[in-house]
Order: sequence, then C-alpha cells, then structure tokens
Amino acid sequence: MSSTSNAPTGNNRVRIVVATSVMLTFISYWRAAAVILNDLGSSAFYAGGIAEQAIGKSAPWFVLGVMLFAFAVRAVYVESCSMFVRGGVYRVVKEALGGTLAKLSVSALMFDYILTGPVSGVSAGQYIAGLINDTIAIADARGWVPSAIHRMFHGTPQVGVNATAVVFAVAVTLYFWWQNVKGIEESSEKALWVMQITTVMVVMLLGWSLFTLLKVGGHLPPFPTLANIHYTDESLGFWKHSKLPHMFGILGLIIGFGHSVLAMSGEESLAQVYRELAHPKLKNLKRTAIVIGVYSFVFTGLVSLLAVMLIPDDVRMKVYSDNLIAGLAMNMVGPQVLRLAFRAFVVVVGFLILSGAVNTAIVGSNGVLNRVSEDGVLADWFRRPHKRYGTTYRIINLIVGLQLFTIIVSWGNIYTLGEAYAFGVVWSFVFKTISMLVLRYRYKGVRNWKVPPNLHLFGIEIPIGLASVGMVLLSTAIVNLFTKSVATVSGLIFSVTFFAIFTFSEKVNQRKHAHSLAQMKEQFQLQLAESVERETVGIRPGNVLVPVRDYNTLNHLKWVLEGTDTREHDVVVMTARISQFGTAAYGLSTEQVFSDYEQTLFTRAVSVAESFGKKISLLVVPARDPWSAVAQTAHNLESSTVVAGLSSKMTTTEQAFLLGSAWESIPEPKRQFVLQIVQPEGKVDTFRIGPHTPTMKNEDVVLLHRLWLNVTREPGLEDIHHHDILTEALTRFAHDFGAHDRDSIVKELRRHGTEAGPLPVRRIADQVPTVQPGPAHSDRDDEDRDDEHSDDGSSSPFTGSE
Amino acid sequence: MSISVVLIKILEFMFVAGWAGSVIVLLLTGYEDIGTLLDRKDENSH
Repeated sequence: MSSTSNAPTGNNRVRIVVATSVMLTFISYWRAAAVILNDLGSSAFYAGGIAEQAIGKSAPWFVLGVMLFAFAVRAVYVESCSMFVRGGVYRVVKEALGGTLAKLSVSALMFDYILTGPVSGVSAGQYIAGLINDTIAIADARGWVPSAIHRMFHGTPQVGVNATAVVFAVAVTLYFWWQNVKGIEESSEKALWVMQITTVMVVMLLGWSLFTLLKVGGHLPPFPTLANIHYTDESLGFWKHSKLPHMFGILGLIIGFGHSVLAMSGEESLAQVYRELAHPKLKNLKRTAIVIGVYSFVFTGLVSLLAVMLIPDDVRMKVYSDNLIAGLAMNMVGPQVLRLAFRAFVVVVGFLILSGAVNTAIVGSNGVLNRVSEDGVLADWFRRPHKRYGTTYRIINLIVGLQLFTIIVSWGNIYTLGEAYAFGVVWSFVFKTISMLVLRYRYKGVRNWKVPPNLHLFGIEIPIGLASVGMVLLSTAIVNLFTKSVATVSGLIFSVTFFAIFTFSEKVNQRKHAHSLAQMKEQFQLQLAESVERETVGIRPGNVLVPVRDYNTLNHLKWVLEGTDTREHDVVVMTARISQFGTAAYGLSTEQVFSDYEQTLFTRAVSVAESFGKKISLLVVPARDPWSAVAQTAHNLESSTVVAGLSSKMTTTEQAFLLGSAWESIPEPKRQFVLQIVQPEGKVDTFRIGPHTPTMKNEDVVLLHRLWLNVTREPGLEDIHHHDILTEALTRFAHDFGAHDRDSIVKELRRHGTEAGPLPVRRIADQVPTVQPGPAHSDRDDEDRDDEHSDDGSSSPFTGSE
Repeated sequence: MSISVVLIKILEFMFVAGWAGSVIVLLLTGYEDIGTLLDRKDENSH
C-alpha cells in the first residue's frame, strides 16, 4: 500500500497505480453504426451537389463508385483495429512510419476534422435559407405577402443564402463551443435517435422518389466517359490551362473520383468506436462496417443518383446545388403543400445530423489534439483544464477559432469548403493505408484479420487487397493535388503550419519533460496496471474512495482524513483522466495518463495527507465518463464509501443520481456503497448507491406505526411486525402498479413530484385513528428505523457501511 | 513522351489496377460479410 510516510519500496517515493485502459461502457454495433453515420451520413446532404458542380451530370456514378470503394477502405480499418484496439491514424502511422510522418498525417486529419464543422454548419444553413426563400416565394405567388413588404424588398423578399448560412454556421459552432467547454457527454443514445429520424426521412425519400419515377419517368445520368465529364476552371485547378485532363480517359475518371471522395468522410470514426464496441469486438466491428456501408451507399449514393434523375437540369445546379435533397423533395409528384412539408422535414433532419457533425468535428479535433498533446507533441499549456469545468478549453478555443475563421473566409461557399475538406479526408486515408502496408512486414504482434486477398510467394506475403486500396487512394490524392488548387494551397498551408507547431512544441516539451520526468521520478513511482483491482492497489475491502480533480478544492479529502483512522480503513485518492471521444481510439502510455497536471494534483493530495500524518493510496484511471470511472473503481476496489466534493455544475442530488445511474450499468454481481458529498461550507449529504432502505419521513413512520397498532388489535394478528405492514403495502402497490391502477398511480406520483403542499401521507395519517400503544406493544421493530442513515454533516464516512 | 505523360500513365495504371484489386476485396469481404450477418448466435443488438 502507498504511504506518504513509509513507502513499501524502501525509498521516499509515493507509489501511484496508473490504470492504462480507458474505462468505458460498451455499446452494441447498432449504436456504434449510429455514431459513425452521424458523421458519414451527413455527407449525403452536400457531397452530390459538390461533385456535380465539379464534373457535371455524370457525378452520381462517381459518388456511387466512392461509396462502393468505401467498403474496401472499411476493410483497412477493420484490419488496423484487429491489430490495435485503438487503431486511429496517429497510432498506426507512428507505429509504421515514425513520429515525423505521424505528425504530418495528424496535421492532415486535423484539416479534415476542422473543416467538418464549417462544411456541416454551412450546409445546414444553406438548407434552412433555401427553405425560407422557397416558402416566401410560394406564399408570394399566392398573393400572401403584403404589398408593403413587397415594395420594401423591391420584389419577393428573400434572405441572402450564403450570409444566412454563415450566420447559422457561426451560431451553431459557438453553441457547441460552449457545450464542449462546459463538457457535454457524448451519448450513443442521441446518435441512435438522430439516425432513427434520418432513416424515416431516407425511407420516405426513396419511396416517394421511386413512385415519382414510375409516374413521370426519368433518365439515368450519362455514364462517366471522358465525353460526359464536364470540367470547370475550378474543378481543374492548376490544370485549367493544361490539355492533359482532356487527353486521358482514365485520368478523367481519377479527377471525377477525386471530386467525389468527400462522400466517404467520416469513415475514420470506425477506428474510434472500436474501443467501445461490445464483445465479440471484431465480429461486431464487421457488423458495424456492413451497416454503415449499406446505409451510406443507399443514402448518399442513391440520393445523388435520384437527384439527377428527378430534378430538372435547369434548376438542379442553379437553385439546388447546395441543398440537393431539398430539391429532390420539391420535385416529387404530389400537392405542393405536401412537398413543402416534406422539405421542411428534410431541413429538420439536416439540421439535426449536420449540427451533430459540427459537434463531432469539435469533439474529434479536441480528441486528436489531446492525444498528440499527451504524447508531448503539443505544449502542456493547451491541456490545462478549465478552472470550473475541467475541460481542455484552450484546445477547444483553438479549434473553434480556426473553424470560425474558415466559415467567415469561405463566406458560406459550400463548394470551396467541400473541395478543401476532401484534401484532409483523402490524405489521412492514404497515410493510414500506406502505414498498414508497411506494418504487414514490420508488425509482429497479434493480427486477427487481414484484408484479402494475400498471395504467398517464396515465403513472402504479398498483400494484394491492401496494396490495391492504397493505389486507388494514392493516385486519387496525387491527382487531387493538381485539380483542387484551393484545397492543395489551404491544406498544405494548414498541414505545414500544424506540423511546424507540433515539431517546435515537441522540441520545447522534450527539454521540459526531461526535467519534470526526473522530478516526478524522484517523488512518485508509477505502477502500470491494465485494470483497477484491489490487490493491485494494495488495499483492504471497505476502503474510502476519494475522487479528486481540481487541486484547489481538496476539502473533501481533508474531511475524510480528519474523520478516518487509516489503520482501520484505507483511503484511496483517485483521479479520472478523462479521454474525449476521439482519444479512446488511441493507445495511452504512462506519460499520457499521468501528465504534469496529475503530478501537481497528487503532490497536493500527498501534502494534505502529510499534514494529517495519514496514509493514502493514489490511483489514476483513464475514462470517458467520470461517473462510470468512480462507480467502476468503487466496485472493483470494494469501497464502502465514496467521498466527493460538490460539483460546480450540479446539486448533490444530481451528482448522486449520475453516480447511481453509472452504478446501474455495472454488470451483476455488484456491491453497494455510500456516497458522501462534502460541500464547501462543511455540510455533508449522504446517499446510498444501489438498492437500499429508503430514508423514511417522520410522517411515514407515524402512519406505519398507527397502522401497525390498529392491525395488532385484530384477533390473531398480535405478533405482526412493522415490516409485515410494509410488505403487505408494497405487495398491494406492486399488484396495482402492474395491473389496472398503473396510470392513476403514475399520475398521483407525478402530481406529488411537482406540486408543493401537504404530502398525501399527512392527509392519510390524519384519517387513521390514534391508538396509544399499550405496554404489550412496545416497539419491537424500532431497529427498522435505526437503520436509516443521517443526512447531516456529522456522519462519518463509514455511516452506511457499518 | 514527356515526364508528365509518363507520370499520368503510372497514376492511371495505379488507379485501374487498384480498382481491379479493390473489386476482389469487395467480393471476398462481401462473401465473408454474408457469413457474419447470418451468424447471429452471439449477437447483442440492444
């Protein structure tokens, strides 16, 4: 066991157990697919329009080709996840090609992530602005717009589409900036809900489109031949004055493919969710890959195809290039009001999924930058937690600052944004695939699955499948460098700038870290453990767990040490190293989990313990959610009590509820424990986590007693106990709740939950006649009531366990 | 033949050969995917 006074190692260093696995709650493949599709599916709202603007009417074939090819790219991700549980780009490239190329690949990935926000926000704004303008135009055509307003606007009032998109994108980005600074919880539940609504829209869209095709007919888009690909100056970039694109048929295909590749942006999320997938992981990853593959092929691929088939050529690119699905909704057969209503539904779904993508962009970028920062590549200054919320707000500020800059500079031009976005998407895939190829020869560890086919010649494996995917990606990325001038220039400037920042920061950090590492090694001895176990930490059952986060608020630790005899009960001080959504995809080394912040935090905790002359054990646990981390740690360590400080964001009851919810998700068998929350003024609120005897109000006890007195007067019931009355009452309640009276019970409970005023028990208690207990009726069950715990600050941390 | 033409020919070869290989990847993984979908004994979709 660790000690502040006598370390077992024979020196003065304090032992800290560092858990190296992020504590996660595992999710099904349906939920994992929903999380990925929130990003991948959002591309359907803009990818088709951008591709057609670049290469003309044959674009849907390229989008379908990209969605088909995405199945092969998914195979690369499945292989990488079968090697590394956290098989994100940074980890894989670093493993295969070293730190320099890992920094370069992460710079490209950052460009992808940072642009996801502006592209999605602006696209959602375009859909909203389009709906407003079309609704006003329809109303005006019917004479519903007053002539005064008509005169004021010199015609039909219209909002500026790009300006509205910019305002909307800025507002959404700022909203999610604040949510991320406050530290919102990512939930697969929310993602699943958004995808359920999106699926309703997709089914309606496809069904109505097919019905329209049957009614009015339609023509397939022209096949992707050199004659059918129509370049613009923008789509040829640096080759706009060159004859090369017009000379080679296959080059034209590569150019078209390159302009459509952004349709598969979001695939990289596959590596991020793998860490959180439930058992059997690899099989569930494959199932997730199939679900997202089929869904995105149908949604993004078919919608792009149907848009060209159903929206007339004269309005498709002129009016609906930036909101293609809205155009599809408006060109179905059926009454105009119904089409407009469906378009409004499309806009609502677009708003939900695209806004979600804005958030994903911030969360993902924050995760990646946190990851490289933990690796010493970005200065620790960026990782300093927010004083109140504990989030890495400086990284979030940097990301959102860059996103706002991008939105304003692009001024709502979705085409420019989308083209630039593809740079990050394709290059991060290229780095990943080349690294996987290199790892086929360099990696000697476990690999549960390989991209097929693989030939074996003279004992050497030739990864044909992996190399094929790599060749398509690399050739597309190289051609994109020439045809996407804006993307190339902005992407290179961005990536080189980030790369320079990473390299410079790393050099500065290496010197600083060498010094702090030496200091840390003098003070602490880190012991790695894959999971948190009581034996590893070296403590006895019935210990007190003290979660800490902010080194300025350790009052609860002082309170514990004041009232605890550490010879009888061990005290474990733990901190949860919160990993954002993205970082769960990457491996965590000791230095990443135990940074200089944790060092400062534990130095303070140790000095508090020293001031009391008492022993404490120290523990760092990486986790996605602090409540799950505390609940799981308390469970694993067989803690009797958890003592926490008051959160700045919620009440003690809310804190207890969240910890209780986290406890509920721990699989059986599980242990109950007591939660005590120490408020700054010294008041302590106590809660039991898990099933427990409830705190009974005095009125309830009086009513119970009166009932018991009356019942025991009945012949043959003299020996009835208080708990028999409760058992009977609860059995009747359960019966009524499960049968005819459920609604009225729920209604009654809701009313009492929201209304002030006399409690029902008081009214009922008044109706029960008071009977003075005779000597024979002495309270033989009084121990029932003594079982309750106190809610005042005088209780010891062990109140609930003894 | 200029260097740019040679380079474009190489890129074209990479793209076509890559696509041919990727189609084989799609067929093989697609066949495996059917097996994965049909094997539902350990499925937990909640």
